[in-house]
Amino acid sequence: MKVSRNWLQSYVNLAGRSSDEISRAITFLGFEVESVHTTGAPALSSVFVGEVLTRDRHPNADKLSVCTVDVGPAHGVKTIVCGAQNYKVGDRVPVALPGAVLPGDFVIKQSKIRGHASDGMMCSGRELGVGEDHSGLLVLSDRPELGRPINEVLPAGDVVFDIEITPNRPDCLSHLGIARELAAWFREPLRYPSVPDEGALFAGAPARPDLLGSVRVDAAEDCPLYQATIITGVRVGPSPAWLQERLTAVGLRPINNVVDVGNFVMLEYGQPLHAFDARKLGGAEIVVRRAAAGESLVTLDTKERALSAETLVIADQQRPVVIAGIMGGSNSGVDESTTDLVLEAAYFRRQGIRATSRRLGLASDSSYRYERGVDPHSLAEASRRAVALILETAGGKVAGPAYRVGGDKPWLREIVVTPAYINERLGFTIPSSDMRSALESLELRIVREDRAEDGGERWTVRVPSWRDDLDRPIDLVEEVLRIFGTERIPATTVTGPGLAEDDDPVVEYQRRALRFLVGQDCHECVNYTLRSATEVAGTASESLAPRLALANPFVEDQSHLRPTLIDGLVETLRLNRARGVSVTRLAEAGRVFRERDGQLLECVAVSFVLAEDPDSRTWLRRSAPDFYAARHLIEAVASFAGLDLARQIRPVAEGDRSWQSGHAASAGDLAHGWSASFGLLNVASLKTRDVTGRVYAGEFVILPANLAAPATRSRYRPFALFPAALRDVALVVEETVPAADVRKAMTKAARAAVGTAFALESMEIFDVYRGEGLPAGHKSLAFSLVFRAEDRTLTDEEVNRVFTAVQDALVSGHGYTLRK
Amino acid sequence: MESLLSALQEKAQADLAAIRTRPELEAAKARLVGPNGELTALMKQMGSVPKEQRPALGKRINEAKALVQALLDAALQRVVDGEIAAQVGPAIDVSLPSPDAGPGTFHPLTQVREEMCRILRKVGFTVADGPEVETEYYCFDALNTPADHPARDAQDTFYLPRDAAFANVSKHRADERYLLRTHTSSVQIRTLLKGPPPIRIVSPGRVYRRDTTDATHSANFHQLECLYVDRNVTVRDLKALLDYIFTSLLGKDTKTRFRPHYFGYTEPSFEVDLSARHLPKVNKEWIEIGGCGMVDPIVLDGVGHDSRVWSGYAFGMGLERLAMLLYGIDDIRYFYQNDLRFLRQFA
Repeated sequence: MKVSRNWLQSYVNLAGRSSDEISRAITFLGFEVESVHTTGAPALSSVFVGEVLTRDRHPNADKLSVCTVDVGPAHGVKTIVCGAQNYKVGDRVPVALPGAVLPGDFVIKQSKIRGHASDGMMCSGRELGVGEDHSGLLVLSDRPELGRPINEVLPAGDVVFDIEITPNRPDCLSHLGIARELAAWFREPLRYPSVPDEGALFAGAPARPDLLGSVRVDAAEDCPLYQATIITGVRVGPSPAWLQERLTAVGLRPINNVVDVGNFVMLEYGQPLHAFDARKLGGAEIVVRRAAAGESLVTLDTKERALSAETLVIADQQRPVVIAGIMGGSNSGVDESTTDLVLEAAYFRRQGIRATSRRLGLASDSSYRYERGVDPHSLAEASRRAVALILETAGGKVAGPAYRVGGDKPWLREIVVTPAYINERLGFTIPSSDMRSALESLELRIVREDRAEDGGERWTVRVPSWRDDLDRPIDLVEEVLRIFGTERIPATTVTGPGLAEDDDPVVEYQRRALRFLVGQDCHECVNYTLRSATEVAGTASESLAPRLALANPFVEDQSHLRPTLIDGLVETLRLNRARGVSVTRLAEAGRVFRERDGQLLECVAVSFVLAEDPDSRTWLRRSAPDFYAARHLIEAVASFAGLDLARQIRPVAEGDRSWQSGHAASAGDLAHGWSASFGLLNVASLKTRDVTGRVYAGEFVILPANLAAPATRSRYRPFALFPAALRDVALVVEETVPAADVRKAMTKAARAAVGTAFALESMEIFDVYRGEGLPAGHKSLAFSLVFRAEDRTLTDEEVNRVFTAVQDALVSGHGYTLRK
Repeated sequence: MESLLSALQEKAQADLAAIRTRPELEAAKARLVGPNGELTALMKQMGSVPKEQRPALGKRINEAKALVQALLDAALQRVVDGEIAAQVGPAIDVSLPSPDAGPGTFHPLTQVREEMCRILRKVGFTVADGPEVETEYYCFDALNTPADHPARDAQDTFYLPRDAAFANVSKHRADERYLLRTHTSSVQIRTLLKGPPPIRIVSPGRVYRRDTTDATHSANFHQLECLYVDRNVTVRDLKALLDYIFTSLLGKDTKTRFRPHYFGYTEPSFEVDLSARHLPKVNKEWIEIGGCGMVDPIVLDGVGHDSRVWSGYAFGMGLERLAMLLYGIDDIRYFYQNDLRFLRQFA
């Protein structure tokens, strides 16, 4: 909201306060000052009215003139070199004499211009700071007296503050509201405008039911109070200068005296008003009702608005004439021909105004105030103020009857508070006398004083009707602190006992996983959660993809929740490569969205990609990443959640769209709270996203709740110091048999053979062979077995016995062949 | 004898100097000092030397033996050196760069978040977490946001379809809609509902606003909020926390100030400005950095903690905004593009 300093001055004395000081006050009262704009002439010394007596071409410069200028008897005639072209001999213009300081700290001195002495400067509007015009001198109209200080001739300056009003303070959408705040801040009295009471206004008013015979409110729910005043015999015309000046200062265009008064009082009190041409009201009747289906209204902005049954309108006997609280119709507005008018002052419910304003896409200064909430208890005063101003500026007489439909319950709100409570909440002491004056300065009157149970002071504070935001003692703490000054809160140190709590397990897990991946040279990325429908459809299952759609996406490419982090990482890969930045290892941790049994799940995911860089040009070649590199990382990431993937790994299904079948695997299931996928990303799918080459990736997904399990502490197990016995065995198996199956069989056989005598300490696959010497479609897996006893050195015989038993079991029990 | 010894010494010197491999060395060793070696043979002749010559000759033989042993040791050293040299290869150019990409980097948002969490941990705040998909209750109702508040409007908040069902995001009321949380304050509510104060948490996390993406706006961004609820928590304590946070982050000469403001879930409410030296690309004395206030009694009572007993404060700020201030970044979109030339700058 734009607030004029000159206007504020009518209610609170700001003389001697700089704009900065006022800005600061507004800021610390709790409103943001978005801009400060100075209009009109600033205070200028040594600038006077002068008249051009002669004008001759400068001897050394075609575009300059040498003039003699009469600056009045006190200063005499000066010789001034001037570059402007728009003036003639006899014009009166502003003359800055040596010593003058123009805006921008431009000091005027006696000087020589192109070899010719000049005793000052004739000025343009911009040079004086009174406008943007720099096309020539500011030629003064009306021939002001020579030698007069220029400030007496130019319009006075004003400072306009553009202030953002918080939604809890609709009372400050008015000059009186801001003035009240400033009065409290500067400890100045607030001067209300003088408004005649109703008796004085209506004294001797004739009844004119022919102009307005009835006011009916059919929608009392939406319009709890409606007041209409008849004024006859007005002369509509331009507003007086003071009124025009007020409105133009805050960016409103003056229209005519009646409309201008309405706007003025709205900006003064915050109460929207509307004036009808009484003779245009069909049937001399006002009805406040919901619009009927099919009705429409051409509003003052000349647009036709289709109305619906939700739209509250002001109607005459036949048709709507105003969209209530938002904008008037062109069928009933006040214009130059208007002589009799009806002034409406109404209170409409904010919810209704807001809904209609949104529906129609139509907002106004009036609807803005109704949406924020106007004070129905100030309505009558604002209305009388407007009537008085119309009479003053447009003439006319008030006529009866005075219509007032609805009526509010009288306002009474009191808050009981103790100064002790305020100090307790603040954590420091403000003397109760300061609290009292802070409250009183905001018209929060202490109407009763007594003692609290502890014997301390206790106040009953009466809240004015425009402060609907205050209804609890804590609200008064804020009021006291605002006026006391938030900059005066004393410093202290942070105290408080430790709470012996851990960080959330989800946070700890992500930290640990990321630390690991970054330690593995991954760059951590942060990608958007919202993805395009196309991208999600390419990854998520047919049942999941549509469920991830938002109800109200904002842009098309951010319409779905992400089911995976990998798409974002692939996008990062693409973007970097497109920009010629080499990238190989990326990681991300964040939320993804999956499904289980027809319901969505919010999951924690940790993902990475390992890409070979097709454009890599390093002097030393490294081997490209492979499936087992991805497996190594994903197993570690899962292990931080206490999970061992190894036993559950299965190849991805043929035809998987995200992963390259035959080169990727998955483990786990969200039915059990977690799942993992890893391996080669589907090469064809990547190609459609402009990513070429092989990209390995891994994604571990877990429900937050599954990370909550407390970590169990490891138990030390003794380890043998006697030498180990090593045996190698190679088995020939069919190509399709997974190594894990063979390994499992071997473990089982070895355990059975060893019994409790000693232990199979470890077993590693150390060679995988295909080719010469093996039957087609077969491979050889070579295992290295390590046996050890805790209490002795094993003898060859006992190890051989076990080893033979293991081999026999594998051959006879599983049909594997020993490779000799 | 003497001439034999001299000849042997000379020959040994010449032969051993040429030795490069272990087999050659072993052979030479056997030839000289082995049981059938030349020196051994000479030593065996000691018995046939006249008695009076023996001490002199013995001395001479010992000299020869020591010399041969020294030659053998030297040859062994050369062989070992040779083997190691073969193993390690020729000297490399240490000035060549490593071909390995790296090191890995943490995203600047993670770094800023973790730095804030470390600072807050020192004064007893632990990190709390909550879902990004939320319900109207946790995101709005419990935080005293009226049903017709513009922030709840479908124009500003992302909603999920009415029939969306989340198995692991609990609803407070059956008829609530799911939405994407617009602030991490929903974590405060979930934490407050878990148990009685004292509570001292920091909740960093991702939030969503239905907003045009530009240099300063993003459909998702990150916030960090602190909540402290205990007996007798005051405005002054809140100011002390903010002073502590920003002097820890930006140095002792950093100042903060409160401007009264309005938030539905705090009373009184403030906006927080900070003033610090050496912030890149900042040419104003005071920069707005976050919002805070004393938890509104309605919020505490609403989650079942008697506001006559408990009081608290809350503070929240945008992590992108903080990171932009700290590092002098002028476009929020860079955080989400992950251009490595960007990410590597914060290693």
